[in-house]
Amino acid sequence: MAPERPTVLITVTLPVRSTIEDAQRRLGLADDEVDTAYGLVPVDPARGTYALLVTEAAGARLQGAPEARGSHQGPFANPKIEPFGPVQSKDDED
Amino acid sequence: MRVIVQMRPEHDVVQAVVDPSVSTPSASDVAGSLPGIDLDADFVPVPVPQPKPVYSDGDPLSLDQPLTFSLAAEDASVLVRGEIQDRDGSARLALLSSQRADIVGIAADPAVETTPTCGNTPPVGDWHDVQRFVTDALKSEGLDGSGVPLAIVDTGINLAHLGQVLGSPVTVDAARSWKPPGVNGNFGQFPVNHGTMCAFDSLIVARKVSLLDIPVLLSQRQGSTVMEGLLSDAISAYAHLWGLLEQMPRERRRMVISNSWGSFKPTWDFPPGHPGNYSDNRAHPFNLIVAALEVSGADILFAAGNCGVECPDGRCGFPNRPINGANSHPSVLSVAGVDTHDARVGYSSQGPGRLAVRKPDIATYTHFSGSKAFGQNSPDSGTSAACPVAAGVVAAVRSKLSVQDLSPSRLRTLIRRSAHDAGGHGYDFDYGYGIINTPQLVDAVRRVGKNNAGP
Repeated sequence: MAPERPTVLITVTLPVRSTIEDAQRRLGLADDEVDTAYGLVPVDPARGTYALLVTEAAGARLQGAPEARGSHQGPFANPKIEPFGPVQSKDDED
Repeated sequence: MRVIVQMRPEHDVVQAVVDPSVSTPSASDVAGSLPGIDLDADFVPVPVPQPKPVYSDGDPLSLDQPLTFSLAAEDASVLVRGEIQDRDGSARLALLSSQRADIVGIAADPAVETTPTCGNTPPVGDWHDVQRFVTDALKSEGLDGSGVPLAIVDTGINLAHLGQVLGSPVTVDAARSWKPPGVNGNFGQFPVNHGTMCAFDSLIVARKVSLLDIPVLLSQRQGSTVMEGLLSDAISAYAHLWGLLEQMPRERRRMVISNSWGSFKPTWDFPPGHPGNYSDNRAHPFNLIVAALEVSGADILFAAGNCGVECPDGRCGFPNRPINGANSHPSVLSVAGVDTHDARVGYSSQGPGRLAVRKPDIATYTHFSGSKAFGQNSPDSGTSAACPVAAGVVAAVRSKLSVQDLSPSRLRTLIRRSAHDAGGHGYDFDYGYGIINTPQLVDAVRRVGKNNAGP
């Protein structure tokens, strides 16, 4: 069975200049549960909020983890996005 | 309020309007100055025949009898049209009728629509029309976007195509552009596609912007098509833009971000009510970074979407309230689409928005012959084209005003307040606050400049 791919977003609150390793340590995430290529992305630097991509299973585990509660939020959807043009008729729909 | 004014001027004027062999007098020659009415100088006065009873004993005021129609100079009247100011409209109309004996009647001139402009209809006007409507007022004030970073978050830009259609070279700021890991190709050299169309539509308004190429929708991942990305890619792009913005001193800080994309289906998202949902949830990381970037000084514009009730895009999956997620964020300008006749295109998404109710904010032009990115006869269509036109307007304004002079929030307010009211009276969910009105906006910006300069 193929390993699960990171597909959901979570946010974590960390000090300035934290690394993805810091986030993994804080949240107890293994390397194969995180998209390390995506990295640790600042989303609200004033509050020290960062985003990272994790597997659904890791997201679900963190949602119920009392030890990490307060330092993270999620899982959040990571929907696909598409351009708003050119306009497609019903017949063109996938 | 738009009105039609029926007048009975001097006989020789009526004769000149009726007679096809002489040039028709202008509206002002027919009507002179009508107090309280902004006369439409482009509307050619129209003669109206006088109905008369066929029988000599007929009622001269009844239309419910056999009639003949006379265009004789002593019988006919002439129509002109204009706009009456909305405030105290009834009083203005009463005053006008009492002051001018040559006015026979005043009637409403409502917008009429037959078949709305839809995805499969040909272009309505061309990009020169858009320039005339939008750009002329900006150019006269020297607002051309000089040096303003304008990020096209899309499928990448093709400079050779842009230069060819625009007739002069175009450059991108490659050093400050950004692409997701795994995206091949150089900035400014991506295949001609949606992003090139968006860049074109901003350049026709603000020719001297500094383009940032952000091809988020080319994100390469397993199973993806050539024109889709993931929201996480957009988060990374915005983090990059935030870093650029923070490096700029506040007195020179400015950045405009044009986003002609979004989520088409609720099935792509977590369900509404789920705490991780994107469409309805301001706490989603992308919606958070949008808010953070706006606070930092970015002017962020999003297309309203193509899920209008008359002819929605085939991909639309929202049963109602299709303006979702960041496209409806309170910190962005959400842009609806109108054709070059000021009529809402049938696919332009209507509000209310999901994150903020009053979405879209404003409307501007789309569905015109422009970039030819999709072929010689294909219009630049979708609210995808309207958004970068509006982004060009914002970038033009930013060429003289930094974030310190005018915050993104105040600039959005100026754009809304100066918009030309369209659709329903005041704010409505079809056009928002109305169609972007650059002459009025330029006046407002001029006042901001004076106030900032002090006494």
